[in-house]
Amino acid sequence: MKFIKDMLENLNRVSQKNKLLGMFRPVLNAADEFFFGTDKLTRLPHILDYMDMKRFMSLVVIALAPAAAAAVYFWGLRVIAMILVSYAAGGLAEVAFAITRKKEIHEGFLVTGLIFPLILPPTVPLWIVAVGAIFGVVFGKEVFGGTGRNIFNPAIVGRIFLSIAFPKIMTVYWQGPFTGGLGGFAHFQNIDAITSATPLGVFKSHGELASYMGLLFGQNAGCVGETFRVGLIAGGLFLVFTRIVDWRIPFAYLTTVFVSTLAFNHLFHLKLAPPIFQLLSGGLLFGAFFMATDPVTSPFTKQGRWIAGILLGVLTVLIRGISGYVEGVMFSILLVNVFAPLIDTLVLNVRYQKKVK
Amino acid sequence: MLKPFRGFRGGYKFINYDGPAAPVIVEDDIPSRVMIPLRQGFGQDVKPLVKKGDVVAAGQIIARDDHTVSSPVHSSVNGIVEDIKRMNYFKRVVAMVVICSQDPSKEIARIPGYSAEWGKLSNEEIEKLIYLSGVSSLDREGIPTRFKSSIIPPEDVKHLIIHGVGSEPYNISLELLLEGRRLLNFFEGVKILKRITPKSHVHLAVNGHSRRIIEQLVKLSSNMEWLDIYPLEPKYPQGYDEMLVPTILNQKFPYGYSAANIGVVILNIQAVLGVYEAVTEGKPFIERIVALCGPSMKEHVHVKARVGTALGDILSKRLDTSKPSRVVLNSLLTGVNLNDLTLPIDRTFSQIVAIPENKDREFLSFTRPGAGRDSYTRTFLAKFLPGAKKRPDTNQHGEERPCVSCAFCEDVCPVRIIPHLLSKYVKRGIIDETLMNYDIFNCIECGLCSFVCPVKIPLLAHLKEGHEKLMQQGCDRTQCILPYFDLKGIEEYRGVTKL
Ligand code: SF4
Ligand code: SF4
Repeated sequence: MKFIKDMLENLNRVSQKNKLLGMFRPVLNAADEFFFGTDKLTRLPHILDYMDMKRFMSLVVIALAPAAAAAVYFWGLRVIAMILVSYAAGGLAEVAFAITRKKEIHEGFLVTGLIFPLILPPTVPLWIVAVGAIFGVVFGKEVFGGTGRNIFNPAIVGRIFLSIAFPKIMTVYWQGPFTGGLGGFAHFQNIDAITSATPLGVFKSHGELASYMGLLFGQNAGCVGETFRVGLIAGGLFLVFTRIVDWRIPFAYLTTVFVSTLAFNHLFHLKLAPPIFQLLSGGLLFGAFFMATDPVTSPFTKQGRWIAGILLGVLTVLIRGISGYVEGVMFSILLVNVFAPLIDTLVLNVRYQKKVK
Repeated sequence: MLKPFRGFRGGYKFINYDGPAAPVIVEDDIPSRVMIPLRQGFGQDVKPLVKKGDVVAAGQIIARDDHTVSSPVHSSVNGIVEDIKRMNYFKRVVAMVVICSQDPSKEIARIPGYSAEWGKLSNEEIEKLIYLSGVSSLDREGIPTRFKSSIIPPEDVKHLIIHGVGSEPYNISLELLLEGRRLLNFFEGVKILKRITPKSHVHLAVNGHSRRIIEQLVKLSSNMEWLDIYPLEPKYPQGYDEMLVPTILNQKFPYGYSAANIGVVILNIQAVLGVYEAVTEGKPFIERIVALCGPSMKEHVHVKARVGTALGDILSKRLDTSKPSRVVLNSLLTGVNLNDLTLPIDRTFSQIVAIPENKDREFLSFTRPGAGRDSYTRTFLAKFLPGAKKRPDTNQHGEERPCVSCAFCEDVCPVRIIPHLLSKYVKRGIIDETLMNYDIFNCIECGLCSFVCPVKIPLLAHLKEGHEKLMQQGCDRTQCILPYFDLKGIEEYRGVTKL
């Protein structure tokens, strides 16, 4: 602790003298804020909640940890490399913006940087991870003015960009998880193993369903973070329980998917998978708990959150069932992000109808 | 009759804060010098009847004005008037009578005309005793009497709410106030109040966790059909008038005005005890029980102190001065700073809270398990350990960041407005009817939104700012309130709304 303090102080002194290094002040300040709490005092009210953004974001990271750890087991060190690249590339973009704008660096990237590699297929080359992360940070967040002002979830922006720019890499090659023994650690990048398709893809082309147990414990191909669903459910419930995310969005989302597929599954049983399979396949759980709930990009009114959840559910089922795409979660979330301000405005207008005159 | 548990939406329960005041009363010696503000609690400043050099007795009326809405003020010691001066007293300039005490005895001059058998007194005599004792200036509406002690006459009182909910982080002990004999006195006080406000229905609201007291109250009130007892959740800000009226009466509150406008008078337990003492013992209201709480207090007790005693006299031995601390009146959320220890206490004090002034930068603060940390989110151990004492301090606990729209502030807002939305409007300089349409004037300035915000946005300050700017532009809350209420003679009825 003392050591870090001294180091930061020294760096600070140097950066005050040296103009070039002075540009990196935001980085130093961010590090300083990260390690040491604030010395600011309250005014009114005299006491403030102990919660802050750093804890907020760290808890989301903790909630993601089981899924991330499982991914490392399934696909080996590659996943760690992807996460590191994502943090590094996105972090650089963030720092570059902070320096040119002379603003502080905010905590939002702690979560985005982890979520982003988790929604990529495990086979993507590392440079693509870097490109996507940079694109997501720049066009998903910084162009709007940083965390708190962004309309889209930066990780989704990055991911959608990649699927449009490199559709082959993003959808064709899937690698099944390595389970048993050392898991993925034995294979850093074993191209030969690229055989399996995702369960949703299999359903779409052959109409076969994967086993629910296998889906829950991550025995199928899929994006890095979305396959170990027990971990996702645990992490999601943890976030709901701690009040970090609002339960309304995941609840409305998952219920809508469940109910609508339950209702229409027998009508279109070739197109629409049965409800439980819907819940347990693709990125639905991941998206519902960790991305749709991002407070900045979802509606802030409660009614709006219900509406957003239902809309997400309907869109996801539609895209999965009718469109040419196999997976609909990311697109639905992006679309609902677009509509979030509108939903809020509608809710507010209903709630605060002009009362007098 | 005992009513079922009830509450309101929003709010936050501050439980188990470190250093509550133990239920003991300590009585201090008569101070050598007192400063008595000529405006205490509800009502206007009163004119002094004494001048420099006069000899006064404890309990003697030293200021009174029968023509304005006010109540008399008494000397609280036997002594000589040293000076009468105007000075700053909690953001307001008030005349102060400085009295040098000459006599350490605790005798108090009685008000003539009192009787232990108050049933034999006429209403006029009772009201006179209440008025002359000064107790009629307590709380936000005052106690209506035929003298101008409140903004409404007694016969206009439709509901009388008496509450001891204790929803602040630190509260005066209900058990102590209603202990033994005092419980019976309290009940007599309630009956006296019912007698002078014949058309009123009386509502007793008490902390729902004080089961023993509720049982006793129910037993004592078995045959009074004009009285209901409400156990309430001690959820902040339940003790506010604005929350008591909707919770208990299911009525809309005319935000920004006194509840008296809709025929409701809300009193604290100490006020009712004061009424009893005034009528049956002729005792002027010159003593107040004040709870001393908080981690920076060495002795957590209740003191019975004379009005006008300097804070320093009460706190000098009891405040932990080894570390810097902040001393706050009544509420950690909205209370004023009491760090000037030369100021005196008045009739309205009920808690003095001292918490550490914490400027230390803590290493990796956000990773702590937090067995003593209170938070709206369930992310600290303190929420799960039943006995964990929460230690408040004045650190901001985190950096200010842009709003993430987590809507915590909206969830806790007791009047169901959307603080972050209003704050964004105010900060962008959009001050117009939109703000009023989003009910900015409903804000009761409880401070909860600022408390819960994880990015430390001073929402309360922004709301106040918006409020003031609107007023400067000539917008008035009457435009929002009037359509719903028949508030005749609004200027006259406005009274004091915020103490
Ligand atoms: S907006 Fe006003 S009433 Fe609502 S929580 Fe904030 S201070 Fe309290
Ligand atoms: S609590 Fe703070 S961060 Fe959350 S919505 Fe309100 S102002 Fe924004």
